[in-house]
Amino acid sequence: MGSWDWSIIQRCWPLMRDAAWVSINLFAWSLVLATGLGFVLALMRMSPIRYLRWLSALYVLIFRGLPALVILFFAYFWVGRSLNLSPFQSGVVGLSVAAGAYKAEIIRAGLLAVGRGQYEASEALGLSRAHLMRRIIIPQAVRVMIPNYMSNATLLLKSTSLASVIGITELTGRARQLANSTYKPIEILTAAGVIYLALTTVLTVSQEILERRFRLKT
Amino acid sequence: MSIDTIQEYVPIILKGFWITVRLFLWSLIFSTVAGFILALMRISSVAILRWISGLIGWLFRGIPLLLILFYAFFALPEISRSLMFDPFWAAVVGLSIWTAAYQSEAIRSGIIAVEKGQFEASEALGMTKRHYMRRIVIPQSIRITVPPFIGNAINTMKQTSLAAVITVPEMTLLARQIISEDFKVAEPLLALAFIYLVLTTLLLMVQLGLERIFRLKV
Repeated sequence: MGSWDWSIIQRCWPLMRDAAWVSINLFAWSLVLATGLGFVLALMRMSPIRYLRWLSALYVLIFRGLPALVILFFAYFWVGRSLNLSPFQSGVVGLSVAAGAYKAEIIRAGLLAVGRGQYEASEALGLSRAHLMRRIIIPQAVRVMIPNYMSNATLLLKSTSLASVIGITELTGRARQLANSTYKPIEILTAAGVIYLALTTVLTVSQEILERRFRLKT
Repeated sequence: MSIDTIQEYVPIILKGFWITVRLFLWSLIFSTVAGFILALMRISSVAILRWISGLIGWLFRGIPLLLILFYAFFALPEISRSLMFDPFWAAVVGLSIWTAAYQSEAIRSGIIAVEKGQFEASEALGMTKRHYMRRIVIPQSIRITVPPFIGNAINTMKQTSLAAVITVPEMTLLARQIISEDFKVAEPLLALAFIYLVLTTLLLMVQLGLERIFRLKV
């Protein structure tokens, strides 16, 4: 093993920083879309219409049963090519569709955790369904969801690394290129690992802050 | 796109089936052993062991699996010649250590779920610590460990698909090759998805069966 070469990290830093931004962008877009998708799926799952319930359950079953990489291949080779999406857009589609299945379960668990009695009580008070959701159910459900939601978000952040396989130069893809071109895989891959650890640690810390903020004040 | 072509691709992709299964089984075995050791270290009375185990868990749960696989494949041989693995074993090393970080949490949560009072009772009965672990703690903790343990195992099975990126000819790589050679996209991907769904469904059934076996008989 040769000695550790700091200068190579210094030289590659600008490229790695830009690539880390691509990862963060992928993550942010996918998180927003997956949350929206998960919310719709959760509502469908709780709907009085049977077909909507089945459709949502089937979606979750299929997309939780498939490797994220396979879903990304679908998004890139099939959806992306037929709709003329850029690799970045296909990556966001694939990651959101995959993460949406997990988010749906987390959001549904949160919504179910709010007692039935509250639905009945708000009905007795004559609240509309939208009002009930917005003012009574969601604020309470959010508190229950935070731990699972956030640890799932951390998984999503790490899954953005798969986007390198469909030609997006995010952090992992860039690290691999640089490792090959500089012949310094140890330094480059370690540097990428440190960036990921920093990002996931930020998420873990914000999870704790959110949990504290949403804790019941008793 | 036709059902016939999908059927045609199933046997071609199934040529990688045994490699997927072998990747999965080896990783499952190694990660269970390593996860058990990490869990014991985590609850040990020796501070340094607790600390090392916590650090390993934080490291490998904070870094994407793909980066860990690159590390195993590209960086380990640079550290020492004896760490040069062929792609298959590099993938097993990466998958095992990654899974172990999650399995240690599943195993640990099972162990600490056993009430402390039982330890005191076993001491009062004159049991040795090993006897207490083997006869009292482990039988009870298995019941609690099974669901998250199998959940992690299913994840590992899906993530064996990443071995394709370091050129292990498992199912995902074979499907990827068909895409670039036959210019067909939907058919190989649907065949691949079908096989993965069968595999994950089988594992889910194993989980349900095990949960039934380990359920408390009251």
